[in-house]
Amino acid sequence: MTSIQMPQLGETIVEGTILKWLKSEGDQVKADEPLFEISTDKVDTEVPSPVAGTVTKLLVAEGATVPVGTAVMEIDDGSGAGGNGASAPASAPAAAPAQAATPVAEGPAEAAPPAAQTQTQQPAAPAPTAPAPSTMPDRGPRSGILSPIVRKLARERGIDLATIAGTGEGGRITKADVLAAAAPPAAGTTVAPLPSVGPAAAAVMVAAPSMPAGQGEEAQPISHIRKAIAAHMLASTQQTARAWTMVEVNVDRLVHLREDSKEKFQANFGVKLTYLPMVTRATIDALQQFPLVNSRLDGETIVTPRFVNMGIAVSYDAGLIVPVVKGADGMNTVGIARAIADLAARARSHQLQPDEVQGATFTITNPGPYGSLLSVPIINQPNAGILSLDGIQKRPVVVEDDAIAVRSMVYISMSWDHRLIDGELATRFLARVKHNLETWDFAEDLGL
Amino acid sequence: MASTTVESGAAGHGAEPRGKRSEDGQATYLIAVAEALWEEMERDERVIMLGEDIGVYGGAFKVTEGFLERFGPDRVMDTPIAEETIVGFAVGAAMEGWRPIAEFQYSDFMTSGFDEITTVLSRYHYRSGVRTPVVLRAPSGGGVRASSFHSVNPEPWFAYAGGIKIMCPAFPSDAKGLLKSAIRDDNPTLFLEHKALYRRIKEHVSEDPAALVPISSAAVKRPGDDVTIVTYGAMVHKALEAADTLAGRGISAEVVDLRTVYPIDEETVIRSIEKTSRALVLYESFHFLGIGAEVASVIAEKAFEHLDAPVMRLAPPNHPVPFSPPLEDAFLPQVADIEAAVDRLSAW
Amino acid sequence: MTERRPAWLLAPPGLIDYDVANEAMHTLARRRLDDEIPDSVIVLQHPPVFTAGRRAAEDELLWDEATVTARGGAVRRIDRGGSFTFHGPGQLVVYPILGLGGRPDAAAHLRRLEEVAIRTCADLGATVRRRADVQTGVWVDDEKICAIGVRLLRTRVTLHGMALNCDTDLTWFDGIVACGLPDHGVTSLTRVIGRDMRVDEVSPIAIRHVADVFGLAPTEAPDEIVRPFLAAAVA
Repeated sequence: MTSIQMPQLGETIVEGTILKWLKSEGDQVKADEPLFEISTDKVDTEVPSPVAGTVTKLLVAEGATVPVGTAVMEIDDGSGAGGNGASAPASAPAAAPAQAATPVAEGPAEAAPPAAQTQTQQPAAPAPTAPAPSTMPDRGPRSGILSPIVRKLARERGIDLATIAGTGEGGRITKADVLAAAAPPAAGTTVAPLPSVGPAAAAVMVAAPSMPAGQGEEAQPISHIRKAIAAHMLASTQQTARAWTMVEVNVDRLVHLREDSKEKFQANFGVKLTYLPMVTRATIDALQQFPLVNSRLDGETIVTPRFVNMGIAVSYDAGLIVPVVKGADGMNTVGIARAIADLAARARSHQLQPDEVQGATFTITNPGPYGSLLSVPIINQPNAGILSLDGIQKRPVVVEDDAIAVRSMVYISMSWDHRLIDGELATRFLARVKHNLETWDFAEDLGL
Repeated sequence: MASTTVESGAAGHGAEPRGKRSEDGQATYLIAVAEALWEEMERDERVIMLGEDIGVYGGAFKVTEGFLERFGPDRVMDTPIAEETIVGFAVGAAMEGWRPIAEFQYSDFMTSGFDEITTVLSRYHYRSGVRTPVVLRAPSGGGVRASSFHSVNPEPWFAYAGGIKIMCPAFPSDAKGLLKSAIRDDNPTLFLEHKALYRRIKEHVSEDPAALVPISSAAVKRPGDDVTIVTYGAMVHKALEAADTLAGRGISAEVVDLRTVYPIDEETVIRSIEKTSRALVLYESFHFLGIGAEVASVIAEKAFEHLDAPVMRLAPPNHPVPFSPPLEDAFLPQVADIEAAVDRLSAW
Repeated sequence: MTERRPAWLLAPPGLIDYDVANEAMHTLARRRLDDEIPDSVIVLQHPPVFTAGRRAAEDELLWDEATVTARGGAVRRIDRGGSFTFHGPGQLVVYPILGLGGRPDAAAHLRRLEEVAIRTCADLGATVRRRADVQTGVWVDDEKICAIGVRLLRTRVTLHGMALNCDTDLTWFDGIVACGLPDHGVTSLTRVIGRDMRVDEVSPIAIRHVADVFGLAPTEAPDEIVRPFLAAAVA
């Protein structure tokens, strides 16, 4: 079912008057056939149909004046119940297909397959018989032009192009449109069924008080990715018993090492040397010493992997994503640096594969380069903890013999799940990370 | 990359080209070429140089200043104005085991030796099994108000021959590394030095005589996500300038410098298109049959499934290079033209 | 040097019958909708005619039909928005038939029409302005010098446009409540500048500004495109 709305004909036009219905309930319509005549304070026009089908309902009377975006008509185009509507081509591009309208479960204890899980299956199994749009709805003179990359991505990710309204010239579906429709779900929603992640979170989200945009405000619908991130963050906060510990680390030696050898490193290995790979390596050792921090809680079972898949939080244009360095315990610092650089670059260019954002056993976030001093991250479920590497600063500190000297210091902290681990363990874990960073000689591990 | 003007002439700073670097150790494109020649002449006594005015005069552009004094007249030979003979001599010498570097005073004059280059040099090894490691080098390209007799981009003519590797570096470090590779390569090679860049571009260039840049390897000179500009020679710098402005408009352009125009590094080009899905091929050789026409074909053929828009080309028309400055400016792609082309490509 | 969109320019001379011109304009718009033809711009004059948008009140026409006909005029109800207005000799009429693209902004299109009128008048020495507090159009104080009315075809292609009084006989406007505004009058370039401003003089200036403001590269329309308009020339 497609809902037809009063179209937006210009930013300053806020309402329109239905002058005349050109179709009645029960009439057949073809794509782009005029449905009704409107008059606004700027222009008059007839509004064409975005789809072919049968008019099922006229929701507004002739002569009525309604705000832009109001549903005025319903057309049965064979797209099934729950479709939330293309509007006339003049409006903003149609929202996601049916999966966005999965019914919201009532009880949080239900393990109903969440909307998020449907998203898991699609990218993981590109069907050779991916739905080929037999008729593309006319959303503009160029909406039928499907470029090679658009077709390839649709095929690989099992996307029905008929459900995407293109933002390119003349309504053309662009590569970016397809990628936005098929973004790998944010980490956490892709792991095996979590009890009531999607629907419960969605229920709470939906229940928030509505405050639509008013005078002087802009409105835009949130992207799939933002929706998935929101659900994941909310679920994590609600389901984990989150506690937080911090240590202060003297990274003076690391700073000097990096300053001295970053150019050589770049020349030798083709990637920039940052602190993140070194901290990652130190953390992996700590995880091996304290395997419980690398574990997850599955119902009433503690699952402890013998390997470390390190999730690295990356911020990019669409929001936040956590690509995973698989088997990070088997890599030296150079390998970790390379893996992180590669994943981050491909994250930012939207080229990660679905399996590259799944399976983290622990996660590190690094807001330091953006200027933070201290952060309290949200645990990337189902991990037991998430470590934050914040900004390195020169500070006056007390050194040997109670003297005061200037050293490069950094706060490293961890949010951890108190259901799984306790304060002593969390603290000892962090102390180990600190010890590693303050005592290891990274030069050899960096191939310098 | 800095593009400051260094004092012209650079004469009298010392015979060795390295003595002609700027105070902070940067080398102009011209000095980088001179260093490559000098180092290879020092490294291998089979390397010889010939050309018009390269010895006593030090070269029309002063690239070979000081070479005659250092290496002597047996290895640095002034020739008459006889391009066909220059090439023929080089082929003969190569057959005898020398490694000749033949200079053309302007690339435009290469066609006086066209037959010797295409019928003889490019085919000799195929016909006889004897290697002819000849390096042809010449200043090429326009934009310097030198008009149609001194501004040609000859690379398409000689790429057609099929037996000659052709390089068109845009940066001094690439120029040095590539020329050295060319001299050490046993195949016939053509090394085209864009005359508009000789003194206008400088950068830090390796002093390691063993530092080479591989032939047929392209380089991403500016990473980007939205659009790929594949280009070479002086156009690389215009593309980079356009990319800066485009970035301010929210369009992230990746600039791929081919460095070698025959055979091209297809893999780097295709990898870039896989990322951006939009290609603009920018080239100074003429639109029809110029190097970019080939690059566009390769992209269409081998990266078809990654394209979100048709492959676009931007190049001057097949027309003599104009002499009048406003006409020459209108003839060559300018930064504004590149921006407009990228805008059109992004909006497709 | 940013790229301009190619557009056809139709400038049939003389006075073009309103009905035929309206019909021909709609045909061009439909062909533009199907991407068969490029954008086009029609520049012409009409014989005297009162036109009214669909929601115009009948009592805005002050003269009865007999009076109108006796004076050589006609009355037409048409598909644009807005109230009664007058077209006639001495008034430069411009109809841009443009594709608006995937996200049509009708308000922007109207603003651009106003901009064309403002720049054209400025070139001729008349300072005119928009009055968002009153109505779309271009004004000199409380008097309208250029009327603007637009319709969209399927929300994507523009119809109708603007009408700038050059040396129009303004007494015609006594026959209507112009633009539905009883307290506002009309004026013309001749009245404002103080010399006879003929359409022939104003037209090339307006065409240039249409090209600039809308980003068009106009070329002469093919003969068979202009023919229907030429065939409808009355004088």
